[in-house]
Amino acid sequence: MDAFTRFTNQTQGRDRLFRATQYTCMLLRYLLEPKAGKEKVVMKLKELESSVSTGRKWFRLGNVVHAVQATQQSIHATDLVPRLCLTLSNLNRVIYFICDTILWVRSVGLASGINKEKWRMWAARHYYYSLLLSLVRDLYEISLKMEQIAHDRAKKKKSSFQNPPEHSVADEETEWLQSFLLLLFRSLRSHPPLLLDTVKNLGDILNPLNQLGIYKSNAGVIGLGGLISSIAGIIIVAYPQMKLKIR
Amino acid sequence: MDAWVRFSAQSQARERLCRAAQYACCLLGHALQRHGASPELQKQIRQLEGHLSLGRKLLRLGNSADALESAKRAVHLSDVVLRFCITVSHLNRALYFACDNVLWAGKSGLAPHVDQEKWAQRSFRYYLFSLIMNLSRDAYEIRLLMEQESSACSRRLKSSGGGVPEGIEIGGSGGPGAPGGSLPQLALKLRLQVLLLARVLRGHPPLLLDVVRNACDLCIPLDKLGLWRCGPGIVGLCGLISSILSILTLIYPWLRLKP
Repeated sequence: MDAFTRFTNQTQGRDRLFRATQYTCMLLRYLLEPKAGKEKVVMKLKELESSVSTGRKWFRLGNVVHAVQATQQSIHATDLVPRLCLTLSNLNRVIYFICDTILWVRSVGLASGINKEKWRMWAARHYYYSLLLSLVRDLYEISLKMEQIAHDRAKKKKSSFQNPPEHSVADEETEWLQSFLLLLFRSLRSHPPLLLDTVKNLGDILNPLNQLGIYKSNAGVIGLGGLISSIAGIIIVAYPQMKLKIR
Repeated sequence: MDAWVRFSAQSQARERLCRAAQYACCLLGHALQRHGASPELQKQIRQLEGHLSLGRKLLRLGNSADALESAKRAVHLSDVVLRFCITVSHLNRALYFACDNVLWAGKSGLAPHVDQEKWAQRSFRYYLFSLIMNLSRDAYEIRLLMEQESSACSRRLKSSGGGVPEGIEIGGSGGPGAPGGSLPQLALKLRLQVLLLARVLRGHPPLLLDVVRNACDLCIPLDKLGLWRCGPGIVGLCGLISSILSILTLIYPWLRLKP
């Protein structure tokens, strides 16, 4: 219980737990909706989802400052590609949080003249750009890691003599694909923070893709993606060494 | 900017900020009503207060576990009175949070058959007991410190040469003088006690903060349970003061009263 208390004392920890609940409700609703006799359960899930989603806005108020600070930190990254990607990604997050705050002001009734749809689209667009840039950075890091592992393995192979056996062109292609996938698997396994960050971004990007109409999926897919990314986020908060550091 | 990031990373800090905003809205709404502001603006403020209240209930989900954990830790205190007061206070807080969770479930539509009035009254009752325990603990600490201070004072007076004049001996049940102590003597004793109290509180800011906070918080359940109807203005002001004080204890951890 002590670990749970320490986890929930952090705003991010609590927020990710609620997020996981929200997307679980979305997924369960999608699975139970077509079934007969489950209307009450589906309605309760909908109410829970909407109240948790509304309540989470309180966790996001003031996160503009967090995103500005993250932008300042990412400007100091040593490598060019991560520096560019992370800075632009964090700038997009700043704009996303500004749009989110404006939507909050509208939802509590403080200012009624705000066009909710327009600002929601803006928020979704900038969230999408920020996730896309994070994914570019992840892919860059993965490719670096794969190069490094391939280089290490080539060095190890040089020391031991081996005659490459004869094989056909088709075999060569499947072997290339197999070794590529193996290299990808090895590089992700050796660097869990990178794996977690990639999984989180991939899970998160499904929602804005659906909202912007780029890739229309259903509530089940979005719910599953959101749940997986929330679990990855919970692991990152519970074990801070799993956070992907800026090099 | 760094300070805000570190402060808002604690979920309790965000909840306290929402609490301060909620009671500020309550106070503002009362002030607007008194000065005849437009009903539109009053409705907006009331709506914001309602949103804040519901949002805070969600932010507080899971606080029961925190309160139980604190109660478990308090059971190991050495002083009996402190152990009793703090443990019972945390247990009452845990029950208050549990009732609050039930109210959230009712308000958010998960359990629509919840009797909001009954559970609200229950939660305020537990909150009141917890505050009474906190104030008892504060009174006990103050009494201990006053005794310490007065014995230190009399030691200082004794060592600075000469005996202590009888009527001026403080912190005792009166010297072996006239049994029915005259009025001026009583007034002098009372004045000395008050001065001693002021000295003790001034020398221990965490204790002073805790006393003021608990005293301000006391108005809220007393008003809601109908024991002392002070009105939304006083409730809003007291709630705002206690929220600001608890935000101060979060920003400056040395201001928190340690058992």
